[in-house]
Amino acid sequence: MGKHEEALAQELQRKGFSRRDVLRIGLRLGLGAASMGMLLAACGKTASTEPTKEADAGGAAAEPTSESIFDITAGDTGAWPKSAVAEPGDKVEISVGHTWDAVFFERQLQFDKLFMQRHPNITVKAENTPWGEYRQKYTAAAAGNAMPDVLYTQFSWAQETIRSGLYIALDDYIAKEKDFNLADFTKPSMVSYQYDGKLWGIPYDEGPGNLYYNKELFDAAGEAYPDDSWDLEKLKAVAIKLTKGEGPNKIFGLGELPSPGDSLMAPNYLFPFGAQYLSEPKEDECLINKPDAVTAMEWWEELRTKGAIPSPADLQNVAWPSFQFGKIAMTLQGSWATPPIQAGSKFKWDIAKWPKGPKAHTTFSAGSAYMITRDSKHVDAAWLYMNEYLSTAGQTYMWASTGRGSPSRLSAWPAYLGSKFAPAGAKNVEEAMSQGIGTHDIIDQPTGPRVTQAAGPIWDLVVAGQKSVKDALNEIFAAVDPIIAENRK
Amino acid sequence: MTNAQPTPIPTPPNGKPKIGGMARKEERSFYLFILPWIIGFLLFDAGAIIASFGISFTNWSALSAPAYVGTLNYSRLIADQVFYKAMGNSLYYGLGSVGLGTIVSFLLALLLNQNVWGMSLFRTIFYLPSVVSGIAVAILWIMILHQDFGLINSFLAWFGIKGPGWLVQPQWAMPSLILMSLWSAGGSMVIYLAGLQSVPTHLYEAAEIDGADTFQKFWTVTVPMMSPVILYNLIVGFIASIQGFVTVYVMTNGGPANATLVYGLYIYRTAFINFQMGYASALAWVLLVVIILITVVQFIVARYWVYYEGDLKS
Repeated sequence: MGKHEEALAQELQRKGFSRRDVLRIGLRLGLGAASMGMLLAACGKTASTEPTKEADAGGAAAEPTSESIFDITAGDTGAWPKSAVAEPGDKVEISVGHTWDAVFFERQLQFDKLFMQRHPNITVKAENTPWGEYRQKYTAAAAGNAMPDVLYTQFSWAQETIRSGLYIALDDYIAKEKDFNLADFTKPSMVSYQYDGKLWGIPYDEGPGNLYYNKELFDAAGEAYPDDSWDLEKLKAVAIKLTKGEGPNKIFGLGELPSPGDSLMAPNYLFPFGAQYLSEPKEDECLINKPDAVTAMEWWEELRTKGAIPSPADLQNVAWPSFQFGKIAMTLQGSWATPPIQAGSKFKWDIAKWPKGPKAHTTFSAGSAYMITRDSKHVDAAWLYMNEYLSTAGQTYMWASTGRGSPSRLSAWPAYLGSKFAPAGAKNVEEAMSQGIGTHDIIDQPTGPRVTQAAGPIWDLVVAGQKSVKDALNEIFAAVDPIIAENRK
Repeated sequence: MTNAQPTPIPTPPNGKPKIGGMARKEERSFYLFILPWIIGFLLFDAGAIIASFGISFTNWSALSAPAYVGTLNYSRLIADQVFYKAMGNSLYYGLGSVGLGTIVSFLLALLLNQNVWGMSLFRTIFYLPSVVSGIAVAILWIMILHQDFGLINSFLAWFGIKGPGWLVQPQWAMPSLILMSLWSAGGSMVIYLAGLQSVPTHLYEAAEIDGADTFQKFWTVTVPMMSPVILYNLIVGFIASIQGFVTVYVMTNGGPANATLVYGLYIYRTAFINFQMGYASALAWVLLVVIILITVVQFIVARYWVYYEGDLKS
C-alpha cells in the first residue's frame, strides 16, 4: 500500500469522513483505480475512528472513542435540570435517531455516556444514519411502527411528520418542569415545530447562513477580509478577483450560486434584491419570474460566466467538500458546518455575515429539533433524556462548547461565543440572529420537495448554458404553480 | 439438413403422456433446483408485489393510514410530464444499450469463437468486466467520461477534437450511459459464445460445398442458427435495461435537466423522496404492463426472424 494513500485515508478518516466520502474525494482528486483501491483499503485499516458498528446498527449503547477532537468533560457545566418526572424504577433502554457527521457523533456518544452515568437505569442507544438515507430509513420505520423513542427532525419535514401523527405533544411535560423556560428559545427556532396550538418538538439549533472564508487565499491576493461594510457587489468583485488557476488546482472565489432547486435559496440571493421565490410563509404563489427576481438571478449568473464558481465538470475534479480542501475562497454555510471544517482544514479561516444587498440584508435561518415518537415504549425516560439534552447545560455541552453553534436557547449563546472551537467571527452568527438578518422564510411547506425537484432540472439548462435565465424562470413558474396550488386551499 | 421427424410419444387412454422413471427423476430435479428461488420469491417478493398493487389505489405517504383513491393515481399519470420524460428516457436507454450491446457482444463472441492459442485467456479478459459491481463500474466510467481529464476526451484531443462534457451536458448524458452499458457486454457474449459453439459444423461444410463465402455462411447459417439466442438476449437485456437504476443513480442522479431520469429512478424519487407511495406503486405497475407489452411484441415479431432447429421454415 502506498504511503500517500494510507496517510490520506487516515487524514480523511480523522477528519470524520466515511468510506463513502473517501471514495468520492478520491474520485474527485482524480485518483486511479489502483490508488482508489489502496485508499479504501487504508480506510479499512483506520476504520476504528468511525462510529462503532454497534452504534450504526442500533446495537447496544456505544462508547465514544478516544479519537474525538472534544474532551469528554469539557463543556459539562454540571447545571443539569432537576426533572419533575420520576426516574424509571427498572432498567430501560431508549433509542435515539441522529444524523451527525462522524466528528460530531463522537460528541454525541460522550453526552450519552455522561447521561447514563447520571441516570443508571436508562441505557441510551444512539443510531447514527447518514443524512442522505435518514428520511427513507425512518419513514420506513414509521410505516412499521418501529421508530426510535427520540428522533431528529429537520425543519423542512417537521410539519408533514407532525401532521401525520408521528410524535407526541410535549406541552404537558414542559408544563411540569418549572425551570424549562420556553421564553429562552429564539423565536425563529420554534416556528417549524408548532401545530394545532401545541409544541411537538424541541429545537436544538436555529442559525443563519454565514460567509465562511479562507483567510490564506485572501492574504495571498492582498485582499481585506469580509466585514460588516461588505455588500453583495463587493462579494462579487472579490470572488472574481480571487478566482485563479486551471483544472484540479483552480481556486474558485465562491463555492456556489443560487439554484431554484434549493429550498434555502431566497433569503440570500433574492430577498437582498427585493425579489422572492414563493410567497412566504404560505407558499401559495410563485414569484420567481417577476422582473426583480429575473434581474437578481441574472446578476448572480455573471459569477458563473466569469468562472468564479465550480462548474458541474469542475465539481468532478475538485475534492469535496472543497472549502475544507482550500479550493474555495468563500462559501455560504450554516454554523453547523464548523466541526468538520474545524477538524479538516489546514488553513486559517473565519466567518463573516452574509453581505447586504441593495434592498435588504438577509440570510437564511434554519434549524432542527428532537421529538418523542408515538412508538416510544418509555416516554418518561425519553423525556428525561430530551429535558437534559436540550437544556441550557445540554446545549452548552453539545452545540456551544463544541463551536458548532446556533443553539436554540439564548442562554447557551455565551458559551458558544467563548468556545475555543468557535471561529473568531462567531459573534457574526449571534448578530445575524439578534439583528434580524437571519430569516426563516425558506421553503418548508410539504410541497417543498416537489417544488425544488420540478425547478432544479429546468435550472440545469441555465447551468449548461442552454437556456436564458428569463426563459428558465418562466418555465419554473409554469412547473411550480400547479404544485403549490394545493397551498391555496 | 434432415427432414426426419421425431418418433411421437404414444398417448395413453387418459390423454396424458406416460412419464417413465427417468423422466420423473428429471422432473423432481427440476423442482428441487427451482425451489430455492420459489421460496425466496414467496418469502421476500410476492407479498410486496401484491401489496404494491393494492397501494397503487391509495394515497399513502407511509406516515399515516392509506386512503383509497380508486384509479386516481393511474389517471394522474396521463397529465404527468415527468412520467413521459422518464418513460422516454428508459426506452431510449433500453433501445440504445440493448441494440448496441447485441451488436458488440455478438461480434465479440464471433471473434472469441476462433480456434487460436490463448483463447481461454481472451475470453476471461472480455468477461471480467461483467463481474465488477455496478457502483465500481459507475465510478470508473465517471473518470473515463470526465470532460477535462477523461480517457475518451484525452483520446479525442490527440486528433484535435474537443470532447463534450459527457455527463454534464444534457444532450450527451444518455449516450454516455449507453456507451457505458457496453462494459457489461461480456455477460451476453458468453451466451452467444455458447450458442456459436452449438451450431453444427456440418451446416458450414454443406454451405462451403455449395460455394458459400464467409459472409454468406455467416448470414445463412450462423445468424439463423443463433436467432433464438439473439431473441433471448434481446428480451432479457431489454427488461433489465428498462429497469436500470444503480448506475444512473450513482453517475448522474437523473440529471442534468432530467436527461437521464430513467423510470426506475423516477419511481424511487416518488416513493422515497416525495413519499407518494400510492403513485409510485402505480408507476411500477404501469412499467410492468409496458414490459409485458414490449415482450409480447418481441415474441410476435420473432415469428418472422427467429429460426428454431427442427422447424420447417415457411
